[in-house]
Amino acid sequence: MKDNIETRVIGLFVVVVAILIYVTVTSVNNIKRSIATADWVNHTHDVILQADAVLSSLHAGDASLRTFLMTGDRRDQAAYRSAYAEMVEHLEQAKALTLHGEESVAIHSQFLQLEKLIKDRIDFTKTVVQAREQNGIDGARDLLAAHPDVEEIGRIQRSTSSVINQEKSFLRERDQDARAQALSTKWIVSMGLMVNFVLLGFVSWLMRDDLAARRKAAMALEEANAQLEIKVQQRTAELVASNTNLKKENLEKKWSNQALDHQLRYSQLIINSIDELIFVISKALNVSRINPAVLRVSGWEPTEIIAQPLDRIIQLPGGEGEAATTMMGAMREGREIQNRAANLVCKGGEPVAILFSLIPLHDQDKVVGGVVTVKLAQRAARA
Amino acid sequence: MKKHILSIDDEADIRELLQEALGMRGYRVSATGDTETAKKIIKEDPPQLVIMDFQIEEGDGFIMIQEVKKLAPETPIILLTGAVFDKQVVRETILKTVNSYLDKTASLAEIIAEIQRLLGDPVDAS
Repeated sequence: MKDNIETRVIGLFVVVVAILIYVTVTSVNNIKRSIATADWVNHTHDVILQADAVLSSLHAGDASLRTFLMTGDRRDQAAYRSAYAEMVEHLEQAKALTLHGEESVAIHSQFLQLEKLIKDRIDFTKTVVQAREQNGIDGARDLLAAHPDVEEIGRIQRSTSSVINQEKSFLRERDQDARAQALSTKWIVSMGLMVNFVLLGFVSWLMRDDLAARRKAAMALEEANAQLEIKVQQRTAELVASNTNLKKENLEKKWSNQALDHQLRYSQLIINSIDELIFVISKALNVSRINPAVLRVSGWEPTEIIAQPLDRIIQLPGGEGEAATTMMGAMREGREIQNRAANLVCKGGEPVAILFSLIPLHDQDKVVGGVVTVKLAQRAARA
Repeated sequence: MKKHILSIDDEADIRELLQEALGMRGYRVSATGDTETAKKIIKEDPPQLVIMDFQIEEGDGFIMIQEVKKLAPETPIILLTGAVFDKQVVRETILKTVNSYLDKTASLAEIIAEIQRLLGDPVDAS
């Protein structure tokens, strides 16, 4: 959807730019043509002016010539000469102006014909002036009567007028072309601008639509982010709480372990400090633990006693097996034996008279083992 | 401002665990294993509560209790010890000298709850 709108917008902008380029190029070309047309119009007006000037100079020269023929006054002669010279000069300028250009060829040709007529006229004028100077005014009159020049002047006038009319015709055509061109430029520019405005309007509509969609999407994203943030905060709080609880649990376990360890050590200290010999035995009367007093009194190392039968060390006067039978019976019945006389067999083999007690260890209702405490009989007697 | 608790115990593990557990609950804990340092702390930075064992380095817990009471008569004392006393002994003897008696086999939660109770703080829900 988003890509589609972007493609459309870009495409429309390309069209807008293409139209602008077309309008600009066309307008620039039309302006160039208008400038060229203006130059041509100026040039044409120059040609018309020169043609008009040729005709005016002809009339002025002719008038001065006739005055001179009547008066013989040299000033009049100078005046017609000057007028004719101007006429020739204007004709030369008109020829030069029409020397180049496709449309000027016919006009230039007409000016060449006009030049011939003017040359004839000047030649005739020279002849008339010569007749006036040689034969006086009558001579000139006779010559004029014999060669009427009205027709000759008329041809020059017609030829000049033809040139002027033709140029004016060209001017009208150019004027119409220029108008058509201006209208075309106006139409192209107007249409181009109109189409561009329409396209830009469409682009704006598309972009507005797209922006609205984006805004909506952004709002949805923002809302989703906010919800996510809340969830993250909740989850973080849960994790922190969970972490704290874990730390507490961990500390609690450490505390329990150290408390247990402390108790064990403390109990061990108490047991180890007791002067009586202590044997912890299993139900089968095997020794599982002793206190240091055992080593001190009997010389037995723990490794030599642990896991060995107790009756190997403590013997009753009844002989071998008596101690085991007595203690097994008490253990089975969960009964205590208190201060029973017996012998402790030391590591060296010598017997030591003792008093021993057996306390069965009860775990709930079951006897799981027992504790045997041994006092030296001699010491007990002293006590 | 964080409440100040002084822990006097000869076992470093106990001191560290108490420091960590009480620190987590926003208390400032000073800990020492010897009596001289404990007395110095009580004089320079009086605690709001003293937790102590009666087995301490180079000293005796029962004498130390008297010294603490002398230096900071208003400061509650918890006797936290591994030596298990008989309940009757605790009731009739120990609790006459200290504000509270706890066995070291008590859970940390129980110990902290007792500390919070003595300091007038809300007791942990857990």
